[in-house]
Amino acid sequence: MANVFGVQIFFIVFRECLEAVIVVSVLLSFLKQTLGQPGQDQKIYKRLERQVWVGAASGVLLCLVIGGAFIGVFYGLGKDIWSESEDLWEGIFYLIATIIITIMGLALLRINKTKEKWRGKIAKALAERNKKQQTSTSSRIGDWSRRYVMFILPFITLLREGVEAVVFVGGVSLGLPATAFPLPVVCGIIAGLTVGYAIYRGGNVMSIQIFLIVSTCILYLIAAGMFSKAVWSLQYHVFAVKVGSDVAEEGNGPGSYDIRETVYHVNCCNPETDDGWDVFNAILGWQNTGTYGSVIAYNMYWIGILATIGCMLYRERTGALPLRQRALAFMLKVPVLRNYAKRKQEMSREEVDEVMRQIQDDTRNDAGLFKTEVSSEN
Amino acid sequence: MALLARVTCLVLTTLLAIAGCQAKTVTYDFNVTWVAANPDGLYERKVVGINGQWPLPVIEVDKGDQLVVNMYNGLGDKTSSIHFHGMFQNGTNDMDGPSMVTQCPIPPGSSFTYNFTVNQNGTYWYHCHTENCYPDGYRQALIVHDKDAPFANDYEEEFTVTMSDWYHTLTEDIAPSYMSLYNPTGAEPIPNSFLFNDTLNVSIPVKPNTTYLLRLINIAAFVSQYFYIEDHTFKIVEIDGVYTEPTEADTLYIAVAQRYSILVTTKNTTDQNFPIVTVADTVLLDTIPSDLKLNNTNWLEYSKSAPYPQADIQVAQAQDLVPFDDITLVPSDGMPLLPEPDIQINVTVIMQNLMNGYNYAFLNNITYTAPKVPTLYTVLSSGNLATNSEIYGEFTHPVVLNHNDVVEIILNNNDTGTHPFHLHGHNFQVLDRQPPVGPNFYSNLNGGNPVNYDSSNHTTFPSVPARRDTFVLPPYGYFVIRFVADNPGVWFFHCHIDWHLAAGLGMLFIEAPTQLQERLSIPEDHYQACRAAGVPYEGNAAANAQDFLDLAGENTQQAFIPAGFTARGIVALVFSCISAVLGMAGISVYGLTDLNFHTMYTGPDAPNTTESVAMDNVQPKTEENTG
Repeated sequence: MANVFGVQIFFIVFRECLEAVIVVSVLLSFLKQTLGQPGQDQKIYKRLERQVWVGAASGVLLCLVIGGAFIGVFYGLGKDIWSESEDLWEGIFYLIATIIITIMGLALLRINKTKEKWRGKIAKALAERNKKQQTSTSSRIGDWSRRYVMFILPFITLLREGVEAVVFVGGVSLGLPATAFPLPVVCGIIAGLTVGYAIYRGGNVMSIQIFLIVSTCILYLIAAGMFSKAVWSLQYHVFAVKVGSDVAEEGNGPGSYDIRETVYHVNCCNPETDDGWDVFNAILGWQNTGTYGSVIAYNMYWIGILATIGCMLYRERTGALPLRQRALAFMLKVPVLRNYAKRKQEMSREEVDEVMRQIQDDTRNDAGLFKTEVSSEN
Repeated sequence: MALLARVTCLVLTTLLAIAGCQAKTVTYDFNVTWVAANPDGLYERKVVGINGQWPLPVIEVDKGDQLVVNMYNGLGDKTSSIHFHGMFQNGTNDMDGPSMVTQCPIPPGSSFTYNFTVNQNGTYWYHCHTENCYPDGYRQALIVHDKDAPFANDYEEEFTVTMSDWYHTLTEDIAPSYMSLYNPTGAEPIPNSFLFNDTLNVSIPVKPNTTYLLRLINIAAFVSQYFYIEDHTFKIVEIDGVYTEPTEADTLYIAVAQRYSILVTTKNTTDQNFPIVTVADTVLLDTIPSDLKLNNTNWLEYSKSAPYPQADIQVAQAQDLVPFDDITLVPSDGMPLLPEPDIQINVTVIMQNLMNGYNYAFLNNITYTAPKVPTLYTVLSSGNLATNSEIYGEFTHPVVLNHNDVVEIILNNNDTGTHPFHLHGHNFQVLDRQPPVGPNFYSNLNGGNPVNYDSSNHTTFPSVPARRDTFVLPPYGYFVIRFVADNPGVWFFHCHIDWHLAAGLGMLFIEAPTQLQERLSIPEDHYQACRAAGVPYEGNAAANAQDFLDLAGENTQQAFIPAGFTARGIVALVFSCISAVLGMAGISVYGLTDLNFHTMYTGPDAPNTTESVAMDNVQPKTEENTG
């Protein structure tokens, strides 16, 4: 089953798709709010709205092409490299996958926060563009980019998100066969679109949130399982290298594992050979042999997640990670790290609101530009 | 008158001497030391030499002789002993040789004398019987000449041929990689070459139209050999010291420790030399290195000027050769099938891993583990308890036999390998073996399951069964043997593949212990060797000389691997489940707090956007608000 549906691929595609939908929805709602109110020029609004959609679609298309090419080349050329030391590669890939999923998984639970983040980012992007316009001499490119800002922004954002998705998918699924890709990608896109649309429409917030929580829980179960599997694979690789080729002969029985490292072993339920147990393995990281390494890794992972969640909740409550203020204050004093520290001092909400108001005004002014251009084209 | 008496006396003694009481004492003094040798031309290595020479001296005696071997262990770093393979040692169990069974291992610097009567005939060999010993070259032929043999006048000359496998490394250096966590399948170490008479490229000079006796002995540690002479057939006249009715054959399968004597009649021509071909049984080898020479060619040399062709091997693999089935041989003394057994011993060969990860060999559920006191000395020091098998320890796998019992051993093989099993102190009648030697020898492997002996459904036992002391057990098959327990002593029954013996594939027969106590007394130099080795010679298997039934402290085998979940495993799984549940609870809490962001800023009093964004609400600081 794991050979046709890579669960981790599903979740990454879902997450990236969701974020893309959020970007588009923020832009669309910004447009609606700025230019789409009843009583404003619908034609310009529609045109800019179309730009957003076209930009989004092209971004997605391009990143699908890049992604397909990347994965195709990767699999076409690279698959044979790791058939030899399969366990070593598996261990490394699982480790990479776990790291990626762990980092981005929790963000899924801050959808509402994500909107704010994107609002801030778009505000900054638009502000910088406007600034540049006003300072530099009008160039053809400047004009063009101003007119098509609603195309460029979603296009670039989605392209970047998409390539990120491709890289992540490549990272978490290096051990999977090529047949495990299409189905989860399609399912992930559908799920992402559905949930994103639901969020856009402001649907039943609670059920969306519960859905997101459940899917994140599953995602982290998978990640914990993968971390445990990574450690297990690396330990097994060390054992297999020392035993030589005979290790495969033993099947499930004694001798197929390093007994001195073992916490438990059952002679059944081997995910590599018994039906059904490979799903158990994919979702929960089950192996019929548990080593000290794999069991401890599993528990350590969850403890790590709990610690991270604790820190993040603390930060949200008190505004900073424990010690972050002190760290930043320290960094401001160090010349090399000063710029980094400055960047980390993000805009406050009032600042964002102020910038957004400014941008809206500028956009309305630009709309006047569009109006003249539209009318001249007409 | 006195002169007449003297002359008569002299004549009588001479007549007696000629009449057959020619029994003499043959003495060998063996100074065992390390020497260097390079028998295959590939590698020079340390080998065990006797009196500074290797290959070792062949022991030759006549039937009825008293053989005395004075052994001095000059090896410096290794214990030793000598087992005279096939010798009955009737009344001299203490001279049998296996360490911790009938004697202590002889430590360096000690001397030990083996002194016994050779009341038997045929082809035998002697070898070291301590752990990791005889594959270092400590083995050689032992020939008992018998001028009364039924074929004694049928041949012109006799040759002794030994065949062997050969390792380039000291056995004690190979052993740790065999019994090892990283050898879970118990794959036996692969030899580096195969030898013929401890060398290669041997020519046996023969005349045309002459019959020769070839004594074939497999003195290897592991690998069996197929043997044939191109373009010649031969007659088998002896197996393991038992004369047989001459039976024609062309190919023999000679397993480790087995012997065959064959009569070869040479051809009429002198223009060719014919290859004597020995083919190693590659089925035994776990892997076959590309540089391992599996077939050896030596020659029946009819003419020194003729070429010496290499063997023309017609088969693709060794198991395509069809060897003679020794169970069909008929002993020439016509000894009939022994009557129904008084005791039947049913054991099964199993290879299994124990808790230390090593692969051990079992008979039933016991892997032979040496006791703290040599079992013979336990018999002699245990008084009335000698017939109680408990005192010999559980893990020596002892079975007490009564004097003159007819004993039947049913040996089943639940392993996919072949095993040549050897019984000390006896030869035995071979009654049944399935699958038989021949083209179907490996057929049980196809079924995937061992086929055990069924006493209600088996081939009829032969009326005059063949007898020998080392018999090959087929993969996933069985054999049935019988013997009479007429030789009081402690006798080892074990697989003769030296690696498997080290892995514990053996058991002990404590035969007629009461009679043994009455008849046997141990020479002082044997006990002296025990003292020098620091091995106790009184007491039970746990070296307890006070309470023989108290076996606390005996050498035990490793624990079996538990089949299912142990306490450790259950604890691990429970903790993992708990941490996963806690983790998911944490994620849920984290996720639900996101709703605060949503509900806080999408109400009627939100700023003038259709959708609002969330903010930290508790203490709006100027520094942080993005994720």
